[in-house]
Formats: sequence, structure tokens, C-alpha cells
Amino acid sequence: MTRENPADLLPELCVLGTAVTGLLTGSFLPRTRQWIVAVLCGTGLVAGLVTAGLAARRADLTTFDAFMLDPLTHVTRIVVTAATLLVIGLAAGPLRGHRRESEFHTLLMLAALGTIVLGAASDLLVLVAAYLLAGIPGYVLAGFGKDAPGTEAALKYYLMGAFLGILMLAGVTLLFGLGRGTSYETLAAGLGTAPGGAVAVGVVLLLAGLMFKAGAVPAHFWVPDVTEGAPRVVAAFVTTVPKIGAFAALYRFAVQALPPGRDDWPLLVAVIAAATMTLGNLAAFAQRNVRRLLAYSTIGQAGYLLVPIAMAGRTDLAEPALLFYLAGYAVTNLGAFAAVIAVGRDDLLAYTGLARRSPLLAVSLVVCLLGLVGTPPTAVFVGKLLIFGAALDGHYTWLAVAAAVNSVASVFYYLRWIVPMMRRRDGGGERRPAPSARWIAYAAAGGSLVLGIGAGIPLAIG
Amino acid sequence: MNLLGRLLPAVPLTTGALLLTGRFTVGRRRLDPAAPAAAVLALAATLGLAVAAALARPAVRFPLFGRLPAGLAVDGLSAALIVTVAAVSLAVVVFAAGEFGADESRARFFGLMLVFTGAMLVTVTATDLAVLLMGWEVMGAMSYALIGFWWRDPGRVGSADVSFLTTRAADLGLYFAAGAALAGTGSLDLAGLAAGRGHWPDLIAAGAVLAALGKSAQLPFSFWLSRAMDGPSPVSALLHSATMVAAGAYLLLRLGPLLTATGWAATLVAWAGALTALLLGAVALAQRDLKQLLAASTCAQIGFMVLAAGAGAVAGGTAQLVAHAAVKSLLFLAAGTWLSALGTKDLGELHGAARRYRLVGVTFGIGALALAAVPPLSLWATKDAVLAAALADSPALYAVGLAAGLLSAGYAGRALIAVTRPTGAAARGATGRHGTRRLGPLERLPLPVLALGAAVLGVLALPPVDGAWRDLLGAGGEPAASPAELAVSGALALVVLAVTWTFVRRGVRARAAWTAPALHWLHLERLARTLVARPVFALAQALARFDDRVIDGGVRVAAATGRRAAALADHRVEVRVDGLVDAVGRGARWLGAAARRPQTGQVHTYYAQAAVLLAVLILIVLLVR
Repeated sequence: MTRENPADLLPELCVLGTAVTGLLTGSFLPRTRQWIVAVLCGTGLVAGLVTAGLAARRADLTTFDAFMLDPLTHVTRIVVTAATLLVIGLAAGPLRGHRRESEFHTLLMLAALGTIVLGAASDLLVLVAAYLLAGIPGYVLAGFGKDAPGTEAALKYYLMGAFLGILMLAGVTLLFGLGRGTSYETLAAGLGTAPGGAVAVGVVLLLAGLMFKAGAVPAHFWVPDVTEGAPRVVAAFVTTVPKIGAFAALYRFAVQALPPGRDDWPLLVAVIAAATMTLGNLAAFAQRNVRRLLAYSTIGQAGYLLVPIAMAGRTDLAEPALLFYLAGYAVTNLGAFAAVIAVGRDDLLAYTGLARRSPLLAVSLVVCLLGLVGTPPTAVFVGKLLIFGAALDGHYTWLAVAAAVNSVASVFYYLRWIVPMMRRRDGGGERRPAPSARWIAYAAAGGSLVLGIGAGIPLAIG
Repeated sequence: MNLLGRLLPAVPLTTGALLLTGRFTVGRRRLDPAAPAAAVLALAATLGLAVAAALARPAVRFPLFGRLPAGLAVDGLSAALIVTVAAVSLAVVVFAAGEFGADESRARFFGLMLVFTGAMLVTVTATDLAVLLMGWEVMGAMSYALIGFWWRDPGRVGSADVSFLTTRAADLGLYFAAGAALAGTGSLDLAGLAAGRGHWPDLIAAGAVLAALGKSAQLPFSFWLSRAMDGPSPVSALLHSATMVAAGAYLLLRLGPLLTATGWAATLVAWAGALTALLLGAVALAQRDLKQLLAASTCAQIGFMVLAAGAGAVAGGTAQLVAHAAVKSLLFLAAGTWLSALGTKDLGELHGAARRYRLVGVTFGIGALALAAVPPLSLWATKDAVLAAALADSPALYAVGLAAGLLSAGYAGRALIAVTRPTGAAARGATGRHGTRRLGPLERLPLPVLALGAAVLGVLALPPVDGAWRDLLGAGGEPAASPAELAVSGALALVVLAVTWTFVRRGVRARAAWTAPALHWLHLERLARTLVARPVFALAQALARFDDRVIDGGVRVAAATGRRAAALADHRVEVRVDGLVDAVGRGARWLGAAARRPQTGQVHTYYAQAAVLLAVLILIVLLVR
């Protein structure tokens, strides 16, 4: 008897309902009052956050045969809704009075919904649907500015997503045939007896789509181009939120769909992880555009996040490491983007003298950047610690070493950004940074510190 | 009783310390005028206390370092000495109060004199080696400060250095003796030193004799007394008579039982004294400088006391000490008077000095005749008492002592004749230039008193007083000089005086080559420099070189090695490490550039790369399986 209680999906329903309501409301509202949609969306997200928090206290269960309600889902829900809330806060300034403001928020909500479903799905077909739901609003958002770079970014994003989505569908088809089902439960039972080579091909093809969402090698190409071309708020969103769902889905697939005892998965993901973090960090070295720099930085972070995926099922540290890192990464990365939005310039030189111009913003940015490096006492530091621990615990020492070396190397490009901020010369950024973005930056930096210092509390609960 | 024993040294010591430290609190300007009076009063009080103590015989006992018995006590020997010390010091300080004008640093001078006297009092009343050493050392230090009193003159400071270093080097013997006493008898008590077990008494005696000979300027340490003449005349008067040099003789007299107990030390001491008396008598005879003559004569006269200590004649030796203190302080004060009045102390230039200053001349004459042991003056009787004991010990010792006595008559005669001869033509100009100074009453006052002492103190060694004297000192069984000995020595002294007078009248001069060693104090200082100072310096320099080259060199080599290693690291290793770092940086840059190459911005290349990479991943998975 399958459980089919809609109340189990209350957070998702909140987000969906807000999206639909927002779209309808926005259609009837004059342009000057479209901010009501933003408030509506914010309210919906808060409601989703609250219901997700309440749901997290319940025991694990499967609902509608395709949704797992377990800590992974709970954290995905909470982090995605919270991150989306932050993005709405970031959007308040740039999109104030925009002619398509309500559409922006509706798309944002739908993408968030797709991301949550991505992380919660325990069926390949739902996964594909979630992939599309999380992806298509994102493509539209990338081109939201209707300008040349945005259009190019949207097109590239879409084309990459379409290509890798087709590969993913091929992989799903293959696994469906081999495992005689799409449910993870069925797959876990069926794939064990299927020919291993064919399963491996199917898994790699499935990974293609999820790597696209995660922004990892070999599907990372869209990340720098979209981050640079799309509006800044969108860039903050697409480099942060979809990843959360993608990594949750990857972890869930590894733990629940793959038959136990397959040792090619850790190797496969570890290779991808090492390649991703190395490529991201190396490519970030000489960037002069802070958005491209952050884009490559997110690729590097995706590489770190793949480490617990590779260690899934091999060590108990993997799940807390992944979840904590996801939360820490989301808040820190959004903080960095918030600072970029507040300053309003992409050129690295524009940040010269920021510490004099707006000290608090500079401090927030420094906290976020050092957080991305993994400096104590920020949240990412704790996450990184857990990740290294997971790699060592799973007997992948070389992966831990690679991650450590990459962390050290990453200091270089973050410092290239931080150091000029402390100089006297004025780089000429925004005189009065956008207030909402500024406050979001402060909040994100503070949140990163709080999450890092109080790391014991969520880890103890989880 | 105890209070008396404590007050006796405390009065001069405290007054002296106050005078010395008061310069820094009250100031020289206000303290200096009061200093002479304070010193005279303090010493007058001290003399009163000394007399009282000599009669009352107080004894102070206190534990030292927690358990060692120590103390100050006045017995017969101490009684004789404290009265002598106090009286002579008073006389000298009264003289100095007249001589030292306002241009001198009087508070410092009288302060030092008082501490000097107080230290001597501590030394002669101490009942144990530790307290004795305290007084002994303070006295040595004060002698240094007093000899170098005119410290702006480097020569005088050099003399103070020589004196201090010499006595101080010998003093180490007393520390050695104290250590040996502690090890051998478990106590530092002076009376118990002879009772030590085994060879400890020998070691104690060796150390004590060394220290005493040094302090008393006996051979071979005599030269320091020559250098000590550079101090002010009152200092010489005090240092040569009742303090300092007398301390050595006192120590030997005090340790008589110990010297006897060892068997060899008494003989050694006796011969050291006799030879010093003889040789330094010759030295005195050869001197052309009045103060140098008197200094050498001090050594010689102290030699008789040391001889007495060695021969066991405590009564005779003490009588000699007391009488000599009066004689020598008198002579030095007179010499000092002429030095300040006439500006010279050269025997050849002092002709007629006694005639110009009658009182000084008469008293000096009495002192010189006493020094010559002319009957019935003091040293005649005391010396014969000593010689009688020497005769009982060994005839050879007696012969040497007698010869030394004849020499004393010779040099005393030379000095006396030099100052009493009519003024020579050569010297008239010089004296005319300088002889304008009048003597003050304070300078005159002590001279007759001391002259009286010099004349009559011989009674201590003559019947009927000598019996009481021996009882006082607890030396009942000592041989007394027979009337024949007294008569012969008195006659010989007169004969020698006459011969001296004749020689001087005729202008007889000994060949310079013969007198040169005596004139230069037997070259003792040069010998000490050659035999002791130079080897010590050479050793020090060798050690310094060792320190420089080996120890310091080792440190420097270590440092140089470190620098060389650093240079090596800088040139060889650093370049490579640096190069490595550079290479890593360049490599990282190159890799960073390479990592951005795939990012062409063209979707078809992205497609191709993604497809190829996925194929590679599939291949990896398939191959690894």
C-alpha cells in the first residue's frame, strides 16, 4: 500500500502554490505594485521553510512512490527555500519596478521547486521531470535581461542543458531496461544482476545530466558563460540553488539506486571530483572578472562537494559532510554574489579600496571569500573538514590530498580579490551600494560565521 | 660588661661610618669643619673605654653563622693593645686635626682613620678567626683608602694598589687558616687552634703565619711598606705604629701556643723576624729619604716582635710593640711636620731642621735615641727582653738579633745626625724657601706625650714593673734580660752611635754598588713583580688568549659555520627552492591558462568536449571493472 498523502509534500505545495498565485496576481497588478508578488513569494518560501522544518522532525518515509522524506530531503528543502529567499532579497533592488518582475519571481519559485523535487525524487522519471523543471526556468531567467550577453548565456545554458538532458534520458532508458523499473528501490534490486558494463554506461549517461545541474566536469562549460552573461541575481541563483538539488539527487542515487558493493562508483565520481576542483581552481587563477572568478570558484566547490558523493555509502561521514557543506556553500556563495550585486561592478579593479568606501561590505565579502577558501571559523571550513575526514575515512587519501592542495591553490585567486580591497586607491565602484543586497551580504557573512561557530548544533541534530 | 666590649670598637666605627656617609647626606661643606673635632672626641672616648675595658676585661659572646661561637673579649694581651691603639690613634688624630687644613677632604680622612682604628680594635679583641678576619679585612681596605687618600695623584694610587694587593694576597693565608681551623677543630676559636688533630694545626699555622708576615711587612713582603709612605704623614704614623703592621705581630703573639705546637712554625717565625730585623735594618741604613728610613726601620723593629713571637717572649714582644708604637708614631709625626714645613724629607736637605723647630727636634731626638736603643730609653729594654728570649732559644738567633740591634742604632743615628747638623750651604736656599710654616698647638701637643712614652715605656721590660707586666700577659716563665746583657747592648748602641757620628762627620760613603740593594729595599718589589706578578699576568694573558682563541674562537667558528651554511643555503639551496617555488608558480599559471582553453565560448566545442569526456569516463569505468 503506497502512501499518497499530499500533506507530506506541504513545502513543495507551498512553493508551487505561491508560484501559480504569483503569476496570476502579477498578471493583474500594475507594474508599480508588482512588488506584491515578491512579498507573496517570500511569504510562500517562509511557509515552505517552516513546513519543511516541521516535517524534518518526522520519521523517514516514502510518499507517492517517488519521494523520499529523509534528512537529505529535509535539508534540501530547507537550504533551497532559504537560499531562494535570499535571492528574492537580492532581487528586490535590481528588479524593483521591472516590467517582468512577477514573472521573474514565478520562474524563481518554479526553479526552486524543481530543485527540491530533484533532491527528493527516488524515481528516475521524477528525476528527469525535476531536471526539466529546475532547468527550463533557469534558461529563461538567464536571458531575463533581454540583452546580448544574457541571450547568449541563455542559449548556451539551454543548449548544454538540452544536450546533456538527452544523454541523461538515454541513461535513464538504459537503466530502466537493465533494472526493469525506474524506482530506486527496484533499481537497487534489479541492477545487481544486470550486465555491469551496461549499467556503468547508463550511470555515466545519467551523471551527465546531474553534472550539468551541479556544474561539474564535464558539464561545467555553461557555468562561466552564464554567470558572466546573465543578470547578477540570476547568476547568484543558478550557481547556487540547482546545485543543491543535483548533489542531493546524486547522493540519493548512489545510496538508494545502486546495488551495494559496486566499487566503480567511488572511482568514477572521485575522478570527476578531482578533475572538477582542479579545473575550477586553475581556471580561476587569472580571472579579472569577478563573476567569472566566482563561476570557476563554484566549479571548484562542486569538485569538493563531489567528494562525499564519491564516498556515499562508504563512510558515515559522507552524508553530514555533504549536507553541511551544501548549507555552508549556499549561504557563503550567495553572500559573495550579494557583495558583487551591492558593488555593482564586475571588474576586479573596481573593488580596489572597498574597505575604505564601505568597510562593512568589504568585511562581509572578505568573510565570504575566506569562507570559500575554508578558513575557520566559517561554515565551509567545517564542511571541508568533514569532507576531508570522509575522504580519509573512505580510504581515498589521494582525493583528500587533491582537495587540500586545491584549497591551498584557491587562496591565490581569492586573495587577488581581497588584497586590492584593502588598498587606499579608489577603484570607483558604486558610491552607495544597493541597500538590500548590502544587507543580504552582511546577513550571509554573519550566517556563514554563525553556521561555522555553531556547527555542532545542526550536526548533532542531523 | 658586654656593653663596654661592644662600645669599644663601636664608637670609632660608628663615628667613622657617619663621617664617611654623612658626606653624601649632610654634604662636605658642612661636615668637613666638624670632622676633626668629632674624630678627636670619638677617639678620646675610645681611649677612655679602652682603659676601662683594660681594667674591667669585658667579654662579648655571640654565635656566628648560626652555631659557631664568636665574640670580642679583652684579656691581658688585648688590654695592652687596645690602650696602645686608642692612645696612639688619639695622638695621631690630634696632630692630624692641626695639620689638615680646610682644603682637604677632612670628613673622608677622619672617617677613614676612625674606621681604621675601630677595625684594629676589633682585630685585637676578637676571640675567633671569623671576627678577627672581619677586622683584619676592613683594616686592609682602610689602609688602601688612606694610602691612596690623595687619589688625584696616580702615583699614590699605584702605591695604594701595591700595598693593598700585597697584604691582600698574604691575607688569603688567613682564609686558608680559617678553613683549616673549621675542618680541623670544628671551631674558629683562637684559643683552641693548637688543639687540632693531625696536620690541621700545621695548615692553620702556615696560613696564619703567611697572613701575619704579609700584614707586618716582614720578609719577603716588606716592600709594600715602602710604597705605603705615599700616604699622608698621620696615616704613616698610625699605620706603622699601633695598627696594620702591629696586627701581624699581634696575631703571631696571640697564636704563640699554636706556633709552638707545630714545632716548625715557631722557629720559622723567629728566623723570619730576625732576618727581617737584620736585612731591613741594613735597608734603613742605606736610605736617603727620612720617611723611607723610618719605614724600613719599622719592618726591622716589627721583626723583633715577630722574633719574640717565635721565641715565645710574649711579654717582651708586647712591650716592644707598645714602646715601638710610641716611638714610631712620634718619629713619623715629626718627619711629617718637617715634610709639610720644609717641603722635603731628603736626609741631605733636612740639615738643621731640628734646630729650627726646637720642640719637634727635641722630641724627634728622644724618639731617635729610643730607636737606637740608647739606655735608658724604651726600646733598649724591650729589645733586650726579646733578645734574652732568643738567646734562650738559640745563640745564632741572638747573634742575628744583636746585629740587627746594632744596625738600628746606626740608622737611628743617621737620622738624628741628619736633622741636628748645622744647616749646610747647599740646603740653606731650599729651607729658606719653605721654612715659613708655623706649627699649630694641635700639632705640637701630641709630640711631648709620645716622646714621654718613647722614653719611659721601657720600664715594662725592666724590674720592678716587668713582673706585673708578665702577670698581665700571663707570661710568667719568660727569661728576662740579665743586667750584663742590658749593659752590653746599651754600650754597643752608644758605640755604634759614636761610630756613625764619626763616619757622617768625615763624610765616609760606602760604595754605591754595595748599598744599592739596600737602598732599593733589596729589590723586593722588583722580585715580587718578576716572580709573582709577571707569571700571574702571563698566565692571565695565556688564559685570555686561550679564551679568545679556543673558547671564543669556537663560538666564532660556530657562528662562521652558521653563516657559511646560510650562505651555502642561500646560493645553492635557496636558488633551487626559490626556483622550485617559481616553477610551481609558473606551472600553476600555465595550468590556469590551459584550464581556460576549453572555455571557447562556442557551444559546438562544448558539446564535443562534453561528449568526449563522457566517453572517456565510460571507458575508465569499463576498463577499471
